[in-house]
Amino acid sequence: MLLARVRGTVVSTHKAGSMEGLRLLLLEKIDPVTLAGKGDYVVGIDSVGAGAGEIVFFVTGSSARMTEATKGKPSDATIIAIVDSIEKDGLFTYEKSKVKTE
Amino acid sequence: MNLARVRGTVVADRRSDGVEGARYLLVEDCSPAGEGRGEYLVVLDLVGAERGQLVMLAQGSSCRWTYRTADKPMDALAIGIVDEIDIGGATVWSEAGRE
Repeated sequence: MLLARVRGTVVSTHKAGSMEGLRLLLLEKIDPVTLAGKGDYVVGIDSVGAGAGEIVFFVTGSSARMTEATKGKPSDATIIAIVDSIEKDGLFTYEKSKVKTE
Repeated sequence: MNLARVRGTVVADRRSDGVEGARYLLVEDCSPAGEGRGEYLVVLDLVGAERGQLVMLAQGSSCRWTYRTADKPMDALAIGIVDEIDIGGATVWSEAGRE
Protein backbone atom coordinates (compact mmCIF):
# COMPACT_ATOMS: atom_id res chain seq x y z
CA MET A 1 0.00 0.00 0.00
CA LEU A 2 1.26 3.47 -0.81
CA LEU A 3 1.04 6.59 1.34
CA ALA A 4 -0.46 9.70 -0.19
CA ARG A 5 -2.00 13.02 0.76
CA VAL A 6 -5.47 13.96 -0.43
CA ARG A 7 -5.01 17.06 -2.56
CA GLY A 8 -8.52 17.52 -3.85
CA THR A 9 -11.49 15.99 -5.56
CA VAL A 10 -11.97 14.89 -9.14
CA VAL A 11 -15.29 15.33 -10.91
CA SER A 12 -16.27 13.32 -13.96
CA THR A 13 -19.80 13.32 -15.35
CA HIS A 14 -19.13 11.39 -18.53
CA LYS A 15 -17.80 8.05 -17.32
CA ALA A 16 -18.41 4.31 -17.42
CA GLY A 17 -21.84 3.52 -15.98
CA SER A 18 -20.50 1.34 -13.20
CA MET A 19 -18.47 4.29 -11.91
CA GLU A 20 -21.64 6.19 -10.92
CA GLY A 21 -21.77 7.31 -7.30
CA LEU A 22 -18.11 6.70 -6.54
CA ARG A 23 -16.16 9.54 -4.92
CA LEU A 24 -12.94 10.36 -6.74
CA LEU A 25 -10.04 12.02 -4.94
CA LEU A 26 -6.80 13.42 -6.26
CA LEU A 27 -3.90 11.86 -4.35
CA GLU A 28 -0.26 12.90 -4.27
CA LYS A 29 2.21 10.24 -3.18
CA ILE A 30 4.36 11.36 -0.26
CA ASP A 31 7.63 10.50 1.40
CA PRO A 32 6.60 9.03 4.78
CA VAL A 33 9.63 10.50 6.55
CA THR A 34 9.50 14.13 5.38
CA LEU A 35 5.79 14.00 4.40
CA ALA A 36 6.76 15.99 1.30
CA GLY A 37 4.78 15.39 -1.86
CA LYS A 38 6.61 13.58 -4.65
CA GLY A 39 4.79 15.38 -7.44
CA ASP A 40 3.33 12.01 -8.43
CA TYR A 41 -0.46 12.12 -8.65
CA VAL A 42 -3.15 9.49 -8.99
CA VAL A 43 -6.95 9.50 -8.93
CA GLY A 44 -8.19 7.19 -6.20
CA ILE A 45 -11.66 5.98 -5.24
CA ASP A 46 -12.60 6.83 -1.68
CA SER A 47 -13.97 3.96 0.42
CA VAL A 48 -13.34 5.51 3.86
CA GLY A 49 -14.57 9.12 3.72
CA ALA A 50 -11.18 10.81 3.41
CA GLY A 51 -10.93 14.60 3.17
CA ALA A 52 -8.55 17.18 1.75
CA GLY A 53 -5.20 17.33 3.53
CA GLU A 54 -5.48 13.92 5.15
CA ILE A 55 -2.80 11.27 4.77
CA VAL A 56 -4.17 7.97 3.53
CA PHE A 57 -2.92 4.73 2.09
CA PHE A 58 -4.33 3.08 -0.99
CA VAL A 59 -4.23 -0.24 -2.83
CA THR A 60 -3.67 -0.64 -6.55
CA GLY A 61 -4.37 -3.26 -9.17
CA SER A 62 -6.96 -6.00 -8.71
CA SER A 63 -6.90 -5.43 -4.92
CA ALA A 64 -8.60 -2.09 -5.56
CA ARG A 65 -11.79 -3.94 -6.46
CA MET A 66 -12.02 -5.76 -3.13
CA THR A 67 -13.62 -3.11 -0.89
CA GLU A 68 -17.39 -2.95 -0.34
CA ALA A 69 -17.47 0.34 -2.28
CA THR A 70 -15.58 -0.98 -5.30
CA LYS A 71 -16.73 -4.62 -5.67
CA GLY A 72 -17.27 -5.19 -9.37
CA LYS A 73 -16.17 -1.64 -10.28
CA PRO A 74 -13.31 -0.81 -12.62
CA SER A 75 -11.16 0.81 -9.92
CA ASP A 76 -7.42 0.27 -9.93
CA ALA A 77 -6.63 2.62 -7.03
CA THR A 78 -8.77 2.59 -3.87
CA ILE A 79 -8.14 4.40 -0.58
CA ILE A 80 -8.54 1.89 2.25
CA ALA A 81 -7.30 3.80 5.31
CA ILE A 82 -7.00 7.25 6.83
CA VAL A 83 -3.67 7.40 8.64
CA ASP A 84 -3.55 8.48 12.29
CA SER A 85 0.20 8.19 12.77
CA ILE A 86 3.41 7.14 11.07
CA GLU A 87 6.35 6.03 13.19
CA LYS A 88 9.85 5.47 11.87
CA ASP A 89 12.79 4.31 14.00
CA GLY A 90 10.80 5.01 17.15
CA LEU A 91 9.88 8.60 16.28
CA PHE A 92 6.58 9.87 14.93
CA THR A 93 6.95 11.49 11.52
CA TYR A 94 3.21 12.19 11.47
CA GLU A 95 0.50 12.42 14.11
CA LYS A 96 -2.87 13.42 12.78
CA SER A 97 -4.11 14.65 16.15
CA LYS A 98 -1.32 17.27 16.23
CA VAL A 99 -1.81 18.60 12.71
CA LYS A 100 -4.39 21.08 11.50
CA THR A 101 -5.86 19.74 8.27
CA GLU A 102 -6.06 22.18 5.39
CA MET B 1 8.95 -11.57 -3.47
CA ASN B 2 10.68 -8.26 -2.87
CA LEU B 3 12.89 -7.69 0.14
CA ALA B 4 12.22 -4.82 2.51
CA ARG B 5 13.46 -3.57 5.84
CA VAL B 6 11.00 -2.80 8.65
CA ARG B 7 11.39 0.88 9.62
CA GLY B 8 8.32 1.52 11.73
CA THR B 9 4.57 1.28 11.98
CA VAL B 10 1.54 3.01 10.53
CA VAL B 11 -1.63 3.34 12.57
CA ALA B 12 -5.04 3.91 10.99
CA ASP B 13 -8.37 3.61 12.82
CA ARG B 14 -10.60 4.43 9.88
CA ARG B 15 -10.23 1.59 7.38
CA SER B 16 -12.23 -0.36 4.83
CA ASP B 17 -9.91 -3.36 4.56
CA GLY B 18 -12.10 -5.71 6.61
CA VAL B 19 -9.01 -7.26 8.23
CA GLU B 20 -9.49 -7.85 11.97
CA GLY B 21 -6.65 -6.74 14.22
CA ALA B 22 -4.57 -5.52 11.30
CA ARG B 23 -1.05 -4.29 12.10
CA TYR B 24 0.64 -2.19 9.47
CA LEU B 25 4.36 -1.77 9.01
CA LEU B 26 6.31 0.99 7.31
CA VAL B 27 8.92 -0.83 5.24
CA GLU B 28 11.73 0.40 3.00
CA ASP B 29 12.64 -1.31 -0.23
CA CYS B 30 16.19 -2.65 0.24
CA SER B 31 19.07 -4.67 -1.16
CA PRO B 32 19.72 -8.28 -0.09
CA ALA B 33 22.21 -6.86 2.41
CA GLY B 34 19.48 -4.73 4.00
CA GLU B 35 20.55 -1.34 2.63
CA GLY B 36 17.55 0.93 2.17
CA ARG B 37 16.73 2.51 -1.17
CA GLY B 38 14.56 5.36 0.09
CA GLU B 39 11.30 3.93 -1.26
CA TYR B 40 8.68 3.15 1.34
CA LEU B 41 5.57 0.98 1.44
CA VAL B 42 2.86 0.22 3.94
CA VAL B 43 2.37 -3.52 4.37
CA LEU B 44 0.10 -5.72 6.44
CA ASP B 45 2.14 -7.68 8.98
CA LEU B 46 1.33 -11.40 9.05
CA VAL B 47 4.46 -12.57 10.85
CA GLY B 48 5.04 -10.24 13.82
CA ALA B 49 8.03 -8.50 12.25
CA GLU B 50 9.96 -5.90 14.23
CA ARG B 51 11.90 -2.76 13.38
CA GLY B 52 15.22 -3.54 11.71
CA GLN B 53 14.22 -6.97 10.45
CA LEU B 54 14.42 -7.94 6.80
CA VAL B 55 11.13 -9.27 5.46
CA MET B 56 9.83 -10.82 2.26
CA LEU B 57 6.84 -9.13 0.69
CA ALA B 58 4.00 -10.54 -1.32
CA GLN B 59 2.54 -7.91 -3.64
CA GLY B 60 -0.39 -7.65 -5.98
CA SER B 61 -3.21 -10.17 -6.25
CA SER B 62 -1.07 -12.85 -4.55
CA CYS B 63 -1.80 -11.01 -1.32
CA ARG B 64 -5.29 -12.46 -1.29
CA TRP B 65 -3.96 -16.03 -0.96
CA THR B 66 -3.72 -16.15 2.82
CA TYR B 67 -6.54 -17.03 5.23
CA ARG B 68 -6.54 -13.58 6.80
CA THR B 69 -6.56 -11.69 3.53
CA ALA B 70 -8.77 -13.80 1.26
CA ASP B 71 -10.99 -11.42 -0.76
CA LYS B 72 -9.58 -8.41 1.11
CA PRO B 73 -8.26 -5.21 -0.52
CA MET B 74 -4.60 -5.87 0.23
CA ASP B 75 -1.72 -5.37 -2.20
CA ALA B 76 1.34 -5.72 0.06
CA LEU B 77 2.00 -8.19 2.88
CA ALA B 78 4.98 -9.09 5.02
CA ILE B 79 4.90 -12.87 4.68
CA GLY B 80 8.26 -13.92 6.09
CA ILE B 81 11.12 -12.74 8.28
CA VAL B 82 14.48 -13.40 6.65
CA ASP B 83 17.00 -15.25 8.82
CA GLU B 84 19.89 -15.35 6.41
CA ILE B 85 20.83 -14.58 2.82
CA ASP B 86 23.98 -15.70 1.11
CA ILE B 87 25.28 -14.68 -2.28
CA GLY B 88 27.73 -17.13 -3.80
CA GLY B 89 28.49 -18.62 -0.41
CA ALA B 90 29.08 -15.29 1.35
CA THR B 91 26.55 -14.28 3.98
CA VAL B 92 25.19 -10.82 3.15
CA TRP B 93 22.37 -10.79 5.69
CA SER B 94 22.02 -12.51 9.01
CA GLU B 95 19.19 -11.83 11.43
CA ALA B 96 21.41 -12.82 14.33
CA GLY B 97 24.16 -10.41 13.29
CA ARG B 98 22.15 -7.42 12.10
CA GLU B 99 22.84 -3.94 13.40
